[in-house]
Amino acid sequence: MDDALPLTRRMMLAGLGCACCTGLLGVGEAHARIRPRDMESLIGPGYRPTAADERGMWQEYERVEQEIAGSNLLVTDPNLVSYLKSIVSRVGGVAAQDLRIYLARVPEFNAFMAPTGFMVIFTGLLTRMRDEAQLATVIAHEAGHFLRRHHIRRWRDVRRRTDLFAIFAMGAGVGGAGAGVYLGDAVRLAQLGTILTLAAYGRELEAEADAMSVRQMAETGYDPNAAPEVWRQLIQETEASAEMRRRRPRRGYSLLASHPAPETRMADLRASAAEVRTGRESWDRGRERYLNSLGTHRKMLLDDQVKLNDPGASLFIVNNLASDGWNGLLRFYEAEAIRLRGRREDRDLSAASYAQAVTFPDAPPEAWRMHGYALIQAGRREEGKTALARYLALAPNAPDAAMVRYSIQQ
Amino acid sequence: MTRLILALFAAFAVAGCAGGGGGYGGGYGFNRFRLIEPQEHDVARTMVVRPTIRWNRVPRQTYDIPREENWTLHGLPLDGLAFIGGLEDGKPLVRYQRRRDIRQVPNFRSDMTPPEIASMIESYYRIRAGSVSFTMTGLQPRTFLGQPGFQYDYEHLSGSEVTRQGRVVGTVVGGRLYMILFDAPKRHYFPEIIPEVERIVESARLENRPQPRS
Repeated sequence: MDDALPLTRRMMLAGLGCACCTGLLGVGEAHARIRPRDMESLIGPGYRPTAADERGMWQEYERVEQEIAGSNLLVTDPNLVSYLKSIVSRVGGVAAQDLRIYLARVPEFNAFMAPTGFMVIFTGLLTRMRDEAQLATVIAHEAGHFLRRHHIRRWRDVRRRTDLFAIFAMGAGVGGAGAGVYLGDAVRLAQLGTILTLAAYGRELEAEADAMSVRQMAETGYDPNAAPEVWRQLIQETEASAEMRRRRPRRGYSLLASHPAPETRMADLRASAAEVRTGRESWDRGRERYLNSLGTHRKMLLDDQVKLNDPGASLFIVNNLASDGWNGLLRFYEAEAIRLRGRREDRDLSAASYAQAVTFPDAPPEAWRMHGYALIQAGRREEGKTALARYLALAPNAPDAAMVRYSIQQ
Repeated sequence: MTRLILALFAAFAVAGCAGGGGGYGGGYGFNRFRLIEPQEHDVARTMVVRPTIRWNRVPRQTYDIPREENWTLHGLPLDGLAFIGGLEDGKPLVRYQRRRDIRQVPNFRSDMTPPEIASMIESYYRIRAGSVSFTMTGLQPRTFLGQPGFQYDYEHLSGSEVTRQGRVVGTVVGGRLYMILFDAPKRHYFPEIIPEVERIVESARLENRPQPRS
């Protein structure tokens, strides 16, 4: 079945990976900040393209959207999806009713806007956001690409400068080729990689989308300060991730790719946020709404992240979320990240975190299991068995219940 | 196991600026599979098993860890049977993992608890095969190689968006990890082959000769 899906997560990742190779970062270069008030939408409601090149681009992306809509990577929980749609409707400006949003289960900080008005956001984004305002700023940024017609503007710019190759003809040719698995994937990777490389808009268009997002945030009552916050978090996470492995941060990574230099960008976002944050006293952060809408998905989100054993990033994410207050779930995943890191001292450190996790009423049952095993390993067998029994009481149908029962009997 | 994972991973990472996976292209064309007849075989230099049907032994590759051997019935990555023969304390299930890699498969430690071994295998799939959704469907005690061990069952969505099913039967003997791992698409292939895998698991025993040194 996967062979019938020309667009997959691999390709999205591959395409975004290619975007990181475009080398559009120009650190330290002088530039003028784009002011939010100058950012008017270039389209109206119900926009449809008329020029031949843009119509061709739409055709291609309409096909891509069909494929994405059928991907089994999508998170389809109707409550969560309708929540995301409500944010899109709020910050989508004149296109609010035209925009579509898909949530793909990929533990990366990334989002992607298609020229036809559909947006793909990765679950890794939801993992990292502290509240609805933070999520809204990314969604507003992506919507900004649509409102400012960035795809076609970028495409025409590229065409002017280089006679690339006919990517749309190419795209039409390989979709249903049904070649062998690997050849097929390689061909499709190339195809979507090309398309998504175009989605690396370059500094100016990214700066436009930033300014647009700040404007949309302010106009819809979201705290515009969420915008610089999100970028600060991403920069700090990238640095923490690299530092843990003693290497230099990859600045071309993820959403930072092809964007203005992170520090410059943050300064611009701060200035823009300050500019629009006048004349209003209270701003919406939507933290409760956000957490309620994530519901039990937050556990899955953290699980997907922590199991990647990128402890620098995972611990940064957990600590950043915990700046709004620790709870059992966050403590448990702190412990998991430390345990997976696997340094000599980490056994004791993770044991201490598991022990803390179970003091919270919302501790996931797994915290009791890991706490129990940690106690047994530390020689506190009876206490450990009690904790394991607690796990079984909380999760009697757990898939590993048989193993835990066996451990209790030892 | 690494072999299968790399096959799964190849398509996932080819153009992703991530490196890795590059060893796949053309690999099969220049290496020879060996037919495994239904009789007793030494596997991974440490265990003896007796399949009841013909299998194919996957040629060794430079990125296999020293302690592994891979078989397949229909070809990789459709189905893969991996034998891990005595992974030492402090070693990972993968080769070519650098200390500076951002995402690392945890090293095996001989004092790992069953959920820790399960979690190590899960990270292995998530990091090396690009599996996104990974769900434990069972973890239970099971005798393996005549020793108390475990059976770990799981499902995952591979990098190529195929729902796959896996089973690992393993044990730690003398501080070393011995495992037989089977992974195949959930539809058709897993249920078709698992009875034979079970026969192989049941037939497994440690070789009598001294275990190879690190």
